[in-house]
Amino acid sequence: MVDDDTALAEMIGIVLRTEGFDTVFCADGAQAVDAWRSERPDLVLLDLMLPGKDGIEICTDIRRESGVPIIMLTARSDTADVVSGLEAGADDYIVKPFNPKELVARIRTRLRPTPEPVTQNLRVGDLTIDVAAHEVRRGDTLIQLTPLEFELLVALASKPNQVFSREMLLEQVWGYHYKADTRLVNVHVQRLRSKVELDPDDPKIVMTVRGVGYRAGAIT
Amino acid sequence: MPANTPASGPGGAATGATRIATTATGVVARVRRPRAWGAAIRRMWRGSLQFRTTTVAVAGTVVAIMIACVWMAAQIQADLFESRSKEVLEDASRAITAAQSEIDDVQGELERSALQGLMSRARQIMIEQSGTSSIAWIRVDTSPSAIAPQNVAPRDFLELISNGLRERVNSSTGQWWQSVELRDADGNPVPGLMVGQQLNLPGVGGYGVYFGYSLSESAQTLLFVQRTLWIAGIVLVLIMGLVTWLVLRSVTEPIVAVAETAQRLAAGDMKARIEVHGEDEIAVLGTSFNQMADSIERQIAELAELSLVQQRFVSDVSHELRTPLTTIRLAADVLNDARSEFGPLESRSAELMHTQVVRFEELLTDLLEISRYDAGSAQLAAESRSLAQLTEEVVDAMRPLAEQHGTELRVVTPGGFTPVDMDPRRIRRILRNLIGNAIEHGEGRPIVITVDSDQDAVAVGVRDYGMGMSAEDSQRVFDRFWRADPSRQRTIGGTGLGLSIALGDAKLHGGTLEVWSALGRGTNFVLTLPRTPGVELLSSPVPLEPRDDEVVPEPPRSAS
Repeated sequence: MVDDDTALAEMIGIVLRTEGFDTVFCADGAQAVDAWRSERPDLVLLDLMLPGKDGIEICTDIRRESGVPIIMLTARSDTADVVSGLEAGADDYIVKPFNPKELVARIRTRLRPTPEPVTQNLRVGDLTIDVAAHEVRRGDTLIQLTPLEFELLVALASKPNQVFSREMLLEQVWGYHYKADTRLVNVHVQRLRSKVELDPDDPKIVMTVRGVGYRAGAIT
Repeated sequence: MPANTPASGPGGAATGATRIATTATGVVARVRRPRAWGAAIRRMWRGSLQFRTTTVAVAGTVVAIMIACVWMAAQIQADLFESRSKEVLEDASRAITAAQSEIDDVQGELERSALQGLMSRARQIMIEQSGTSSIAWIRVDTSPSAIAPQNVAPRDFLELISNGLRERVNSSTGQWWQSVELRDADGNPVPGLMVGQQLNLPGVGGYGVYFGYSLSESAQTLLFVQRTLWIAGIVLVLIMGLVTWLVLRSVTEPIVAVAETAQRLAAGDMKARIEVHGEDEIAVLGTSFNQMADSIERQIAELAELSLVQQRFVSDVSHELRTPLTTIRLAADVLNDARSEFGPLESRSAELMHTQVVRFEELLTDLLEISRYDAGSAQLAAESRSLAQLTEEVVDAMRPLAEQHGTELRVVTPGGFTPVDMDPRRIRRILRNLIGNAIEHGEGRPIVITVDSDQDAVAVGVRDYGMGMSAEDSQRVFDRFWRADPSRQRTIGGTGLGLSIALGDAKLHGGTLEVWSALGRGTNFVLTLPRTPGVELLSSPVPLEPRDDEVVPEPPRSAS
């Protein structure tokens, strides 16, 4: 839990402890990455505005080393702030002031295990997905994805004939019901494409269906 | 000279263009050309100071030069005629005098043959003296005489001598003349003078002698002079037109430059300035304009800076307020969840605190949204979405609330399925707000939500059959914190800012949010979004005013 406001951090700590989570606090942005390295938490709650080091920078640094789920706390839902946070690699965000139940729901969604699909191996485009091993390969090359990106890809690939609206993906991958910010989907589809597509400008794995949403590319 | 000749400069260019068009569009263009020409000239007359002034100057010059030319030509004509006729009359007079003295020199009675000889001598003298060979003589006394020499008068020449001239010559000894039309060697008519005077032949009586003088030489001179005058006039007019055009251009060009720069400045190009040359009045105009532009640019920059400071402040306040509010919210929630363990007073206090913190939070969120519109910093996150689908989603999400109020939500979607660029978050917010309002004011009667589209726009109408509002009230629904009836209890929260934000959201899309309402008939809100951003909307696919034949649905339960 990275936040410079100790009262809020403590309060979030109380809420999360009653839900059965362990929390570690860090009030200084400059020490956040070190604290993360030493503690290796299952999930990072990160305030966007921090003294010492900006939340977006911390997010970028952690993403470089790990796919650990990151949820941003932000006081601003303005396009630029949220999008830059998501582009830096945050999986989800929650706007202050928030409902404690919503925060817990967000955290639980990010920590839940991936549901076991019917098939063990999925294919999309020229990629092979080993769901059990959490691995995506193009030929023999392993492609590194964060758990969220993996889940997004699996969601699309497990129903290759279905077009997923952004809302459907938000519900399935992020656990949102009706209260949706489709920017989450847009940014993460872009991040996913930048990793799995040979040419992100001409996507073959995650296809856009104009006006509706996305679907998996044909198996090649 | 036609008065519109100077117009042939610009007009000629227009004709050239039309002619090119003619080859392309054929008969239609040819038929329309004169009208198009007239329209082009009218447009130039209204739109170009240079054209108008030049036309007026040239027209004035044409009139002045025409008057001058006509007057000068008349003067020269009169002068030429006068001098020529004076010369002719003198010649004729001298010829008569010389002939008369020749005749008078002869003494005594003469025989017929002698008289004949005398007459032909006199004729010779007259031809020599008068300078014309067209001479006729006709005896005044018509009674037959044995000795009188014969009249000499070729027939065609005789025809030219009018009876009036003849009578005058016959009745007096003075000199008389008249203008006639002679024929030259080729038979062409030439202006001429017929001069007549008596020649007295002793013993026989008076002979009227007539000299025919051709004025063709004078006429040619006159023609030449007139031609020269007209050519000089035309050249003068052309020079005048050209000079006016050039002088005006030197004046209008800087004015046009100023106008263009002003337009650029008005369009938002703050760097637009005029190039100033010299120190004349035009240069002063340019310098003043540039100073004005500098001043405007400075003030706008200051305002922009102020706005930026304001935005930063609002953003900071937002952050600073939201963090403690989050803590309060979390604490209130924890307390509220645990209120069953408290006494009744503490329990109620925890509940009140919880609901009011939620309300406070909603107010803060709405206020910040409004402040974003005020600061002009609201941004559209547009994506291609189907309005019909989005509406269905929002309606589905709101059904539980509608059911709580015993209200049925009916969705009619004749159109609006094709995706249009919109910010789904904002459109959802507008729809939630409109439907929430309709549920609150619909008095349990069904609410009809219509989505439709046309060529230019997609629209959604939210219609309730509740008590409605007066025209006065419906004009104020978008005002901040305004309530139709302050005493009326609110059942569905709301901050009083919802419709203002909805209007802001609609405008941000370049769309419209309009309201129709009538007491006892209900209310209809119509949100219209353009298919192409920036296209001005003139009408909506969903009519704002419901058709009167529309059946008012009965509430499913009794309205008591």
